[in-house]
Amino acid sequence: MIAREKLSLLKAKFGDAIQRADMPDENRLFVFVEATVLKRICAYIFAEMDARYVISIGADDRPFSGQFLVAHDFAFDHDHLLCSVLAYLAAENPKVDSISEVVPAASWAEREMRDLVGIEPVGHGYLKRLVLPDGWPKDVHPLRKDVLWNEVPEGFDENREFTFDEPPEGCTVVPFGPFHPTLDEPAHFRLYVEGERVRGCEYRGFMAHRGIEKLAESVLNYNDIPVMAERICGICGCVHSVAYVQSVENAAGIRPPPRAEYVRTVLLELERLHSHLLWVGLACHVVGFDTLFMQSFRIREPVMWIAEKITGNRKTYGLCVVGGVRRDITPELGAELRQVLDKLEAEWRAVAEAVLQDRNIRKRTEGVGIANKTLVKQAGLVGPVARAAGVEMDCRRDHPYAAYNRVQFDVITAQGADVWSRVEVRLREVFESINIIRQCLQKMPDGSLKLEIRNEIPSGRIGLSSVEAPRGESHHFVITGENNRPRRWRVRAPTYQNLQGVPAMIKDQQLADMTITLGSIDPCFSCTDRLETIELKSGAAKVWSHSELFNLVRRSR
Amino acid sequence: MNLLQPLFGALANAGLVLLLAPLFQGALRKLTAIFQSRQGPPLLQPYFDLLKLLGKEDIESGESPVVQRFAAYLSLATVLTMAALVPMGFAAPLNGAGDAILLIYMLTLCGVSTLLAGLAAGSTYSLVGVSREMMTMIALEPLLAIAVFVGAIQAGSFRLERVLNGSVYAAGNFPWSAVVMLAVMLFSFQAFVQKVPFDISEAETELMEGPLMEYSGPKLALFKYAQMAKLMVYSGIFVALFAPWGSDLAFPINWLFFWAKVCVLVVLVTLIAATHARYRIDQALRYFAGLLAVAFAALILASYGH
Amino acid sequence: MSLKSKLKETLLCLKAGRVTLPYPARGHPAPEGFRGRPVFNAAKCTGCAGCANNCPAREILVLDVCQEIRILKYLGRRCAYCGRCAEVCPERAITMSQEFETATDSIGDLQQRLELFMSTCQRCGRCFDPPSVLEELKLKGYRLDDLANERWVFGSKAYLTSEPAVDDIRIEWD
Repeated sequence: MIAREKLSLLKAKFGDAIQRADMPDENRLFVFVEATVLKRICAYIFAEMDARYVISIGADDRPFSGQFLVAHDFAFDHDHLLCSVLAYLAAENPKVDSISEVVPAASWAEREMRDLVGIEPVGHGYLKRLVLPDGWPKDVHPLRKDVLWNEVPEGFDENREFTFDEPPEGCTVVPFGPFHPTLDEPAHFRLYVEGERVRGCEYRGFMAHRGIEKLAESVLNYNDIPVMAERICGICGCVHSVAYVQSVENAAGIRPPPRAEYVRTVLLELERLHSHLLWVGLACHVVGFDTLFMQSFRIREPVMWIAEKITGNRKTYGLCVVGGVRRDITPELGAELRQVLDKLEAEWRAVAEAVLQDRNIRKRTEGVGIANKTLVKQAGLVGPVARAAGVEMDCRRDHPYAAYNRVQFDVITAQGADVWSRVEVRLREVFESINIIRQCLQKMPDGSLKLEIRNEIPSGRIGLSSVEAPRGESHHFVITGENNRPRRWRVRAPTYQNLQGVPAMIKDQQLADMTITLGSIDPCFSCTDRLETIELKSGAAKVWSHSELFNLVRRSR
Repeated sequence: MNLLQPLFGALANAGLVLLLAPLFQGALRKLTAIFQSRQGPPLLQPYFDLLKLLGKEDIESGESPVVQRFAAYLSLATVLTMAALVPMGFAAPLNGAGDAILLIYMLTLCGVSTLLAGLAAGSTYSLVGVSREMMTMIALEPLLAIAVFVGAIQAGSFRLERVLNGSVYAAGNFPWSAVVMLAVMLFSFQAFVQKVPFDISEAETELMEGPLMEYSGPKLALFKYAQMAKLMVYSGIFVALFAPWGSDLAFPINWLFFWAKVCVLVVLVTLIAATHARYRIDQALRYFAGLLAVAFAALILASYGH
Repeated sequence: MSLKSKLKETLLCLKAGRVTLPYPARGHPAPEGFRGRPVFNAAKCTGCAGCANNCPAREILVLDVCQEIRILKYLGRRCAYCGRCAEVCPERAITMSQEFETATDSIGDLQQRLELFMSTCQRCGRCFDPPSVLEELKLKGYRLDDLANERWVFGSKAYLTSEPAVDDIRIEWD
C-alpha cells in the first residue's frame, strides 16, 4: 500500500521522532511527530519526496488533549495520496519552527495560524498580520476555544490604520483596489510602478473575512455546514460543500451511495462549465473585448437554467448532506441536460475556434503573467495556472473522489505558462466537462440518494478531502467533534495559493497587464477570505522584496 | 453685415453638432448592443445621460479645480469651433477665418484639454492616463497633419475651403498618395475618436476612466459631450478630405449625402469597436509608428505630384 | 488570420439575435422545484421544532408560553432558502414556494408566526422522532427564544420559568 511505503521511507529517515501514524485507507496518511523535527520532515517531504504542499493548519486542541495542534498537509499527486504531518504543541506560548523557509508556499498559512490560533512560527521571514484587522488586540486569537464567536474583544481599536511598507527607490505607488472596476471583490494590491513597469507589490486582503470556520466549530451542525460552505464562494460553492461533506465522510468512514456520487459529479462539472464560461467572458472584458464577454454569458445562461431546474437554485445548489445528496436527476431532467449540453458544445466550439485564432486577444495575453514550473512548485500554485505551465495536476485524476474514478477524461495542459495558455486550458476544459457529464448520465446507477446514518459520528477523527474546483484544488481538513459539529474545519481555497504567486507573476510586467494577470488566476477572494469579524477596511499585506522574489523565481530545483 | 452671416453660420453649425452628436452616440450604442445580442439602451439615452450629469452637484475634487473647470470648457469649445471650420454638407461658415494649420492646431488643443484635465486632477490613475494620452497624441496628431498637408500640397494652398474639398485627389496623375493616406486614415480613425481598440487612455478596466477620473456632474457632461461631438467632427473632416463627392449638388441633397457618408463612417467605427480587444499602449504605439512611416511615404509621393 | 476570426465572431453574434428578456414587464416564473420563500402551514404543524433546529441560519424561533402553547416564528431575514426546514418536517407542513420576488420595505411581510396548541405526551410531556441521527431534535424540553428581540437563545429549560434561559449570550447589533 502506497501510504505504508511512504511511511516506511519516513520512518527510515526519522525513526523515533515519529510518534504515531494513522492510515485509515490507502489514500490517507496521518503522521504524528515531535514538534522539534517538524521542519526537517516537511523539508524532506517537499524536496526529496517531491510532494506538493497543500496547506498548514493550526488548531486549538486544549479542551481535548490539553495542547495545540499544528498540521502540514502534502499531496503526492502521482501516488494518489494525501498526507498530513501533525505535531502537538505545549499549551503555554505555542511555538513551532516555521517551514516557509523550505516551503515558500507556506508563508500565508503560517501567518494565518499566528493570527487566528496564536501559534508562533519561529523563523518566518515576514510576520505582518494577514487576516486580522490592525485594530484587533494583540493576544486575542479568534479560533481559540476560549474566544467567543460573537463578541467584539475588548481593546478593539476601530481607527487603527494599516502601516504600509516603504516602496523601493524610484517607484510610484499605484493603488489597485479595494475599489476597482475589474475586481468584483475587495483586495488591495499596492503596486510599485516605474514608468509603465511594475516592480513589486504589497498585498492586503482578507477584508471580507466572515468567521466561517469559527461558526462551524461553535454554532452550526454537521448538516448545517454544507449550506454555509456553498456560500463561501459565489462561483465554486458546490465544490466547497462537496469537499466538506467528503472530508467528514472521510473522517467517519462513510461511503455515500453510488447514485449520490454520480449526482455530485454531474453538478460539480456543471459548476465547472459555468465558471469557465464566466471566466472567458471576464477575461475578454478585461482586455476591452465586450462583445465576447456578452456572448460567453449568453452561451452560459442555459447552464444556469438547467441547474435551477435540477437543484432549485441557479447557483447555491444546496446539494449535499453528510452521506448523500438531497435532490435527484430524474430521467426527464437528464434528457433536458443532454440537450443543453449539445447546444452548448456546438456554440462553444465556434467561440473557442474564433478565440484561439484571434491574434488580437493573443497579442494582449501572450507572454504576460508568466508562472513557470519552478514558481508552481515553490508557491504551490494549483489549477489551470499550474496546468498552463505544463504541470499535469488535477485532483479529479490524482485524488479521485465522487464518481471520477469511473469516468474517462483528459487533463488539459498547455506549455506557455502565460495568460494565453490559461485561456487555452480553460477553453478546452469546457469540452472535457461536457464529456464527463455525458458519461455520468449514461452510467448513473439507480439507488438511494442518501445514506441512513444510524450512529453518531465519532469525535476526534481527522478527514481530508481535495476537490478540483474550476480554479484549482480546494482542500478541506476536518477534525470531527462533539455535539454534532466538527472540532476544527479548515478550508483552503485554490486562490489562497494562487494569490501568493501573483507578485512574482506581475513583476517587471506592464501596468496594463496587471488586471489580466490577476484575472487569469481566476481569483475568488471570497474563497480566500473566510472570516469577517469586523467590517473594517483593513487587512494585512505582504511584500516580497526584490531579493525574495528573485530567489523565488530563480531558485533552481 | 459681413460679420453676421459667418457668426450665424457658426452658431448654426455648433447647434447642429450639439443636437446630433448624442444621437450618433445612441446609434453607436444600439448597434453595439445588436452585436452583443442584447436590447441596448434607447436611441435617445445619451441625451438623458447628459441631462442627468448636468443636473448633478458640481463637486470640486482634484488638485486644482480652476484648471479642471477650464479644461472642461476648453474641450467642448474647441470641438464646437472646429465644427464651424469643417464643411458639413455646405461651405463651412468660418471659411475665411483660418487655414489648414489652424485646424490642426485646434485638434491638438482639444487633445491638450484632456491632458490638462488629467493633470489638474492629479490622482495616480489620472496621471497614468495622461501619460498614455500624451504618448498617443504624439503618435497620432502627425498622421492627421500629414493627411491635411497632402491635401494642401495637391491643392496648392493651405486655405481651408480648398483643402477640405477632396483636395487629395487634385493631383494630375493618379492620386497614389491619396489612396495611401485614405488607407492610413481608415486604419487610424478608431484612435482619433477614442474607441476600442485604441481607447487606451480611458481603459475602464485598467485605469478607472484615466484622465477623467476626478470629474463628475456638469464637468463630466462637458467632456462626454466633447467626445461625442468629436466623433461627428472627425467624421466630417474625413469625409471632406477623402470623400467629398456629391458636395456640389444642390442643397438639400448635398447635405443629406454628407450625413449619409458620416453615418457609414460611424457604422464602421462601431463594427470595429465591437469586434476588437483593446491594445496595450506599447502595441498601439508600434502600430502608429508603422502608419506614420507609410504616411511619410505618401507625403513624399504627394510632393512629387502623385 | 485575425480578420477571419473576427468575421466568424461577428457571425456568431448576429446569428444569436437578441436574447434580452422583457422582465419585469413580463413575468418570468421560476421552474418547478425552485426553492423560493418557505410557506408554513399551521394546520399541519405539530410543533416539533425540527425546522428550527435544522435551520442553518437560525431564523426560526420557538417560544413555549406554557405547557400547551408553543409559538414558532419564521423571521425571514437571513433565510438562505436552503429548504432544510421543508426537508426535515415530518408532517410536510412547509413548502418551498416559487416566490423569489420578496422585496418589501416592511419586514412583517416576510415573517410568519404560528401559534400551536400542543397535545402533551403522557410520558414526558413532549417528544418526537428525529429523522436521522444527524438531525437530532436537540434542545428537548421547553424552548425560550427571545421573540421580542428576535434572537435565538442557545439553550432550553426542563421547566417553564420567567427567568432568562441558560447560556444567554449578549449579541451586539450595530
